[in-house]
Amino acid sequence: MYDNPNLERKVAQQDTKISARNVQVFYGDTHAIKDVNIEIPSRTVTAFIGPSGCGKSTFLRCLNRMNDTIDICRVEGDIDLDGENIYDKRVDPVQLRAKVGMVFQKPNPFPKSIYDNIAYGPRIHGLAKNKADLDEIVEKALRRGAIWNEVKDRLHAPGTGLSGGQQQRLCIARAVATEPEVLLMDEPCSALDPIATSQVEELIDELRDQYSVVIVTHSMQQAARVSQKTAFFHLGNLVEYGDTGQIFTNPQDSRTESYITGRIG
Amino acid sequence: MTDSQHIVSSYDRDLEGVQALIIKMGGLVETAILDCAKALELRDEELAERVRKGDKAIDALMEQINEETAFVIARRAPAASDLRVVLSVMKMSNNLERIGDYAKNIAKRAGVLLQMTPIDGASGAVRRMAREVELMLKDALDAYIQRDPELAQVVSNRDKEVDQMYNALFREFLTFMMEDPRNITACMHLHFIAKNIERMGDHVTALAEQVIYVSTGKMPEEDRPKADSTPYEIHGDPMAGKD
Ligand SMILES: Nc1ncnc2c1ncn2[C@@H]1O[C@H](COP(=O)(O)OP(=O)(O)O)[C@@H](O)[C@H]1O
Ligand SMILES: [Mg+2]
Repeated sequence: MYDNPNLERKVAQQDTKISARNVQVFYGDTHAIKDVNIEIPSRTVTAFIGPSGCGKSTFLRCLNRMNDTIDICRVEGDIDLDGENIYDKRVDPVQLRAKVGMVFQKPNPFPKSIYDNIAYGPRIHGLAKNKADLDEIVEKALRRGAIWNEVKDRLHAPGTGLSGGQQQRLCIARAVATEPEVLLMDEPCSALDPIATSQVEELIDELRDQYSVVIVTHSMQQAARVSQKTAFFHLGNLVEYGDTGQIFTNPQDSRTESYITGRIG
Repeated sequence: MTDSQHIVSSYDRDLEGVQALIIKMGGLVETAILDCAKALELRDEELAERVRKGDKAIDALMEQINEETAFVIARRAPAASDLRVVLSVMKMSNNLERIGDYAKNIAKRAGVLLQMTPIDGASGAVRRMAREVELMLKDALDAYIQRDPELAQVVSNRDKEVDQMYNALFREFLTFMMEDPRNITACMHLHFIAKNIERMGDHVTALAEQVIYVSTGKMPEEDRPKADSTPYEIHGDPMAGKD
């Protein structure tokens, strides 16, 4: 039944955006990610699910080299973005993170105005030639973040004064302001109420016609709702990766089955 | 199907509850199949009446199963094998309810046939056919309880035999009607009865396919041979199909 092409909005392109091969991650002696291989398609929402501590966040952080900022963390293996190895010495991690944006669990707007929250990235990456240019980038990002209508009259009010759901959409807008190609989201809705969660999910669905979105979520229902691909991690292993419909109706591995049906594994 | 339990144990109880209802409904339907054919053969109006009245209990169970599965969906958002259990339970209760309706219809016709001269050997043959369908249903329900897709496949294959029994009866009734037009009314009823049992077999087969789905996550291949050749027979020729 999950072969039905009408069931899910068609995935525009299935070419690979990110390709990871034999990835290992260590925190000191802790082997957190064990030989993970995965191809993440472009213009698709890919969900990472699995019990706490299985390595979802660790693996997500590999995709934009956020683990570089953790001293004891060591990453092995190859991760390519559009066929280019992101761990190559010539790659500037700051540039990389503009291309592979990240949204965190707790909305973390800068203690600045709404406008400056969005303008920050484009300014440091020199994306705007002048003030009018920057205004346009800010408006476009806020529209993409589905929050423009709520903030357009108070762009110079502090971002921290928004509600939790608005702050999270502001953070998504901030992440898209640098024109990324991939958006990584680590439990972006876990601090939000159901309405704000629905708004963010709706936004994620819209974002996928431009970006490749990878979302870590604790909510199985959220993974089923927003993603087209689902990867199940367990004890640092990528146990099963497939179409979301298949994973949720007919998982092939008993560990996946136990986890998504809420059984003692 | 994983044997291990849910972390939330009331979830296990919910799922076991609806499955127990299916088994209970299946038991009532098995009895209805046997009893309607027995009432016909033994010309037992009291038994026929019991089958006709008993259909209400079957319908009520279907209602209850529908309500409880809707509740499980709303409350638990079942996934994977749990989702397949819920989906299959809904379909199977539908199949069982239809079989119950056919049994009731047969019991009605059995009541009418009481008032006519019996047709030689016909009701015995009908009862053998009903017995075969009831055995298929019993095996399908066993296959469900044991999550045994192979047994379910065997049941599904057996439907051919029911189709063949129906074909044979169909020809026989045709011959009787040709021989003596006074047999026409009784034979028409008997023919509908045989047809009803043949349809019961189809529902048992659909139910067996749900067993395969619930245990494997896949529906069986869709080229089950249909052995019912009566749509192609030339009804004006009593020798048609006799070979
Ligand atoms: N900064 C860190 N330092 C040391 N160990 C860490 C660090 N981050 C994560 N870990 C360990 O790595 C494993 C995976 O953690 P994490 O990626 O956060 O899992 P998840 O996101 O699936 O809950 C855990 O055993 C965790 O304790
Ligand atoms: Mg995490």
